[in-house]
Amino acid sequence: MAIQRCLLQIVKTYKLRHHLQSNIRQTYCMLCLKYSTGGSSRKYTDRHEWVTIDKDIGTVGVSEYAQESLGDVVFAQLPDPGTDLKAGDECGALESVKAASEIYSPLSGTVTEKNKDVEDKPALINTSCYDKGWLFRLKIIKQSEINDLMTEEEYKKFLETDAEKPE
Amino acid sequence: MAQAMVKRIVSSSACTFAGLAQKTYIRNVAASSKVAASKKERVLPTEGEITKSVFMSQSTDIYTNLALEDWLYKNMDFTNHHVMMVWRNEPCVVIGRHQNPWLEANVPLLSEKEIALARRNSGGGTVYHDRGNLNITFFAPRERYDRNYNLKLIKRALFRSFGIKSTINERQDLIVRDKYKVSGTAAKLGRLTGYHHCTLLVNANKADLSKALAKREHGIQTKATASTRSEVANLKDLDNRITVENLQTALGYEYLRTPALHLDDGGQSLIAKQRGFQFVNPTDDWFPGLAELKNDLVSWDWCFGRTPMFTVSRSFPVPIGLLAPSKVYSATQELVINMTVEKGLINDVTLSIPPGLIESGFHGEASVITHLKGKRFTSEALNALQDAMLTRHHVSDVKELDDKEQFVAKCFDQVVNTM
Repeated sequence: MAIQRCLLQIVKTYKLRHHLQSNIRQTYCMLCLKYSTGGSSRKYTDRHEWVTIDKDIGTVGVSEYAQESLGDVVFAQLPDPGTDLKAGDECGALESVKAASEIYSPLSGTVTEKNKDVEDKPALINTSCYDKGWLFRLKIIKQSEINDLMTEEEYKKFLETDAEKPE
Repeated sequence: MAQAMVKRIVSSSACTFAGLAQKTYIRNVAASSKVAASKKERVLPTEGEITKSVFMSQSTDIYTNLALEDWLYKNMDFTNHHVMMVWRNEPCVVIGRHQNPWLEANVPLLSEKEIALARRNSGGGTVYHDRGNLNITFFAPRERYDRNYNLKLIKRALFRSFGIKSTINERQDLIVRDKYKVSGTAAKLGRLTGYHHCTLLVNANKADLSKALAKREHGIQTKATASTRSEVANLKDLDNRITVENLQTALGYEYLRTPALHLDDGGQSLIAKQRGFQFVNPTDDWFPGLAELKNDLVSWDWCFGRTPMFTVSRSFPVPIGLLAPSKVYSATQELVINMTVEKGLINDVTLSIPPGLIESGFHGEASVITHLKGKRFTSEALNALQDAMLTRHHVSDVKELDDKEQFVAKCFDQVVNTM
């Protein structure tokens, strides 16, 4: 009787271990599929903002992971054109039912334009965060800062570790 | 003997589990140190390493308290130290970060009754505070932000100390007796820290609350976040013994006796391990930079100027007495005022003056418009308007507005004071 119980425990432990390990692998794959953006020149920050560079103008937005964790965005407060920003400065906020989350500038520069469509219809951030849901554009003054940002690959790895952290 | 074996196996499986968890944790640390070393990836402590404090603000000024909240959010590191701040204020109305004060509150009434108006940094809707209302702010590192935990903690405290049963609805409001709201919630998330604050109505003046937040005709159209109105109740209505003071204490002890990451009762032994209650005196000496934060919060530019762009459209029927007596008009003669207000300042004004008013002698349109542009959307605009109309009187001894001009002024008054 006791031996049977022991065997049961051993089997359960084995299954648990196996299950856990396969779960972790699955999460990584799921993440890759979910957040893959089909290869791009986007750079990312650790606060889930992305930026694409075109000569000296950077376009900034938030990533898929960010828009998902925000929930439905009800209001977007974007920086006004002409505002001078340093990398890491608070430059606006996205309000969702959950909270008002700060937006940080990935690079230093002067804001040239903000996305009026997103101001009118904040839901664009949820439906098209990489395309129509861009937030603002700025004229970059320090090109070297771009190297401090994560590439698509590095960001995916970062998400993997972030996702496993206890929420 | 069999039991001992089972125990050993269970404990070894637990060890495997822990081992796995540790492996993942170590992998996290290792991976994160590889990913951009300049990013300073944080390692969050385990539950047992976190201590808690309850801060009690000694100020009852809304602006000082909001500034203190902001100061803590910006300057304190909550990685190993979670804090719950309790505070209350003299009568005031607090609007959310992206709201429109003219839409949400009766602004002229507030200034008349000397009720302050403040705009907070977190999102959400409008609330009325007075000394019968308790505010609670939960500070934690951004990754450990958990609104549900906080609200459930309040629910437990209410039940443990006063036997009050409450529920949390889908909008994350605390409800008693199935329909009365006793608490509203809002939050702000930043790079490292997040805070969640909520109100608790203990013994607030409900009459003043309704008057301050009354629905009025305002003709405002905007994308600003609107509040969702609910019927409210005071906790004192459910249990006479409850006061803001003893509720504060009850909540504090509940916070301290609950482990940092999951809801459980750690009892007196856990309370003994925490940092306890601390009175906080929000002055610039203790919190350098606080005065500057407070000044920003008090400024008109923040409270009103921060309002998202909106348009106002109101129409006023012209009293028959002002129309040309000999004419008969087919349609109701209405004065229509349209305004765009940006950053709290009047930007664009269009006035539709009905033919009846023009024919009876009102010619002030152009000057009205130019004098209003750039003025604050308050009685300041109204005064500018009246001055403009007066100066138009080329005959210098006419120091009063004629009845048509008075009518137009009165209409404008209604528009800017949302009456």
